Amino acid sequence: MSTVRGAPPLLRVGNAVALPLHPRSLLWTLVLLAALLAAAAATLSLGRLGIPATELVDALTGDTTPAQEFVLRRLRGPRLVVALGTGAALGLAGALFQSVTRNPLGSPDVIGLNAGAGAGAALVALALPGVVPVPLGALLGAVLAVVVVATVTGTGLRHPGRLIVAGIGVAAMASALTHFVVAALARDQASVLYAYVNGSLSARSWEHALTIWLTLALAAPPLAALARPVALNEMGDELADSLGARAAATRAAAITLSVVLSAAAVGVAGPIAFVSLTAPQIARRLTRAAGPNLVVSALVGALILALADLAVQQVPLGEGLPVGIVTLAVGGVYLGFLLVREWRRGVL
Amino acid sequence: MTTTTAPPQTGTARTTLLLGGAAAALAGALLLSLAVGSKPTAPDQVWAALTGTADPHTTAVVESRHPRTALGVLAGAALALAGLLMQGITRNPLADPGLLGVNAGAAAAVVTATAILGPASTAATVWWALPGALAAGLVAYSVGGRESGGGTVRLVLAGAVVSAVLTAYVQAVSLNMPEVFDSYRYWVVGSLAGRGFDAAVAVLPFVAVGALLALLLAGGLNALALGEETATSLGANPVLVRSGGLVAATLLAAGATAAAGPIAFVGLAVPHVVRALVGGDFRHQVPLALLAGPALLLLADVVGRFVLRPTELMVGVVTAFVGAPFLFYAVRRMRETP
Repeated sequence: MSTVRGAPPLLRVGNAVALPLHPRSLLWTLVLLAALLAAAAATLSLGRLGIPATELVDALTGDTTPAQEFVLRRLRGPRLVVALGTGAALGLAGALFQSVTRNPLGSPDVIGLNAGAGAGAALVALALPGVVPVPLGALLGAVLAVVVVATVTGTGLRHPGRLIVAGIGVAAMASALTHFVVAALARDQASVLYAYVNGSLSARSWEHALTIWLTLALAAPPLAALARPVALNEMGDELADSLGARAAATRAAAITLSVVLSAAAVGVAGPIAFVSLTAPQIARRLTRAAGPNLVVSALVGALILALADLAVQQVPLGEGLPVGIVTLAVGGVYLGFLLVREWRRGVL
Repeated sequence: MTTTTAPPQTGTARTTLLLGGAAAALAGALLLSLAVGSKPTAPDQVWAALTGTADPHTTAVVESRHPRTALGVLAGAALALAGLLMQGITRNPLADPGLLGVNAGAAAAVVTATAILGPASTAATVWWALPGALAAGLVAYSVGGRESGGGTVRLVLAGAVVSAVLTAYVQAVSLNMPEVFDSYRYWVVGSLAGRGFDAAVAVLPFVAVGALLALLLAGGLNALALGEETATSLGANPVLVRSGGLVAATLLAAGATAAAGPIAFVGLAVPHVVRALVGGDFRHQVPLALLAGPALLLLADVVGRFVLRPTELMVGVVTAFVGAPFLFYAVRRMRETP
């Protein structure tokens, strides 16, 4: 136990890593892992093509019929793994971003990253079909959008209000371009592109799964190293600096990492709305801990996306919809609720 | 947040001069809109076609540009006035039909109607767009319009939330119904092309009534700009001005949106320019916006016709890029706390 009253014990790895271990966070980590397991089992077993829950363990350990193997290896397996990785990446990206901007609304998708990614994907699909991969276009669009927002505010990414309004402007320009491309293409192509620019998990392969999980694996060490300085940053630049956290450098590193994670998520699943906004907030509410709550945010993000995708696959009305539309609707309602509540309290 | 920094001025001569300049700009934009296209026509030929002395071919070419020009005038005036009214009512320099979710409301209602009843004429579409636009605007305003605190960002955020939810709905419906998707994707980009005279005729009454209301409300908006209590003591009825302004803005925005699709930022940019030119007096702002809005939209449409030759860039894309810098300019003037 630490000597400071109320301060949690730390998980230390060398000098660089010191993750606080809150009992409450640990408990929620376990609960979320169980929920993820349940969501994963439901994803694989529900519906006409599902593998019955009783046979699921056997099927996963290799004892399958050819039909089950197809469902597991091709149809739902990779899709589930991509959903979990993408959700985790979005949750992490949002947690970092909200923490260093000290802004509950400062999430990559609120500042136009998603819209930029959509426009990048759309332009590449129209202008250079087959030459440049669509996810690469999405990546370029996402980065460009963030650069434009950071430039036009005149204060970089610090000022929350400016960030949001500039993001709305960039999003308006980007979606105008996307709409133009969707109108210019033939209907079949247009609806495929439209599904992509809303964020979709249908027909994902193991390559997509590898991309997102590799990104997560590569991001893990810097994330672990950043957890403590980012938490210190929440106390304000001066205090963080005096505690040796180097606020400006921390912010730059955290935002870079956040954009990389969001961009990887966009690359595999398209721009999925509002997961990176909501996951860290839910995590914060669950753990009641200060700081970015990285692990819990990642788990909440994964759970949100897994559940949304489960709904898209199994709820009759949602069938065939891109999962991003579900998160857009649900996340939009949540954002509205959040705004009203914060305004009532006079916080925002 | 104050929307005006210019001192109150009555420079009537200056306003007359500016109105003359705006009228000249509009005349130039009209001429360009009739002259520029896949078959460019010289100005004297355009004039000849208008007066009936040109050869039949040229006449036909110029006449084919009549509907989109008429629609551009109506939609430009409607959007500029709608933005002006909204900025006046909310005293928020970022108010704009697109940013407040009014466009998304119109889109949601139109898509619902199309899904249930099949594709409809523009005239029928307006009647659907109106309640959708009004409802969305009211929700955004009631969530984010309260004046205490830093309302600037709040209203825009509330509009963004309303837009997000309605957009999700629109996309869910349209992706499930190919015919709806097909008409939606042409409509949502915001375009003056490919619509007949009937579209302009259908929205003319809405725009006319809205513009008339805007002219009548100008004095009341001036009073409102001084604050609720001052307005009351000056004999204006703030509730009446606000609700009248909201009705007028809705008529204008829904009319323009139903006819030409959601066109971003004209409602944001024109009032900013107008305010910079004539100052805070709405009795000067309204007429100038009435001329400047159409001029801007027509010019944007003309630009869209030659940047991507041989295809066209729809006017909604051009205005997004012309208008966003005005938003960024407003962003830079925002105070440190939101």
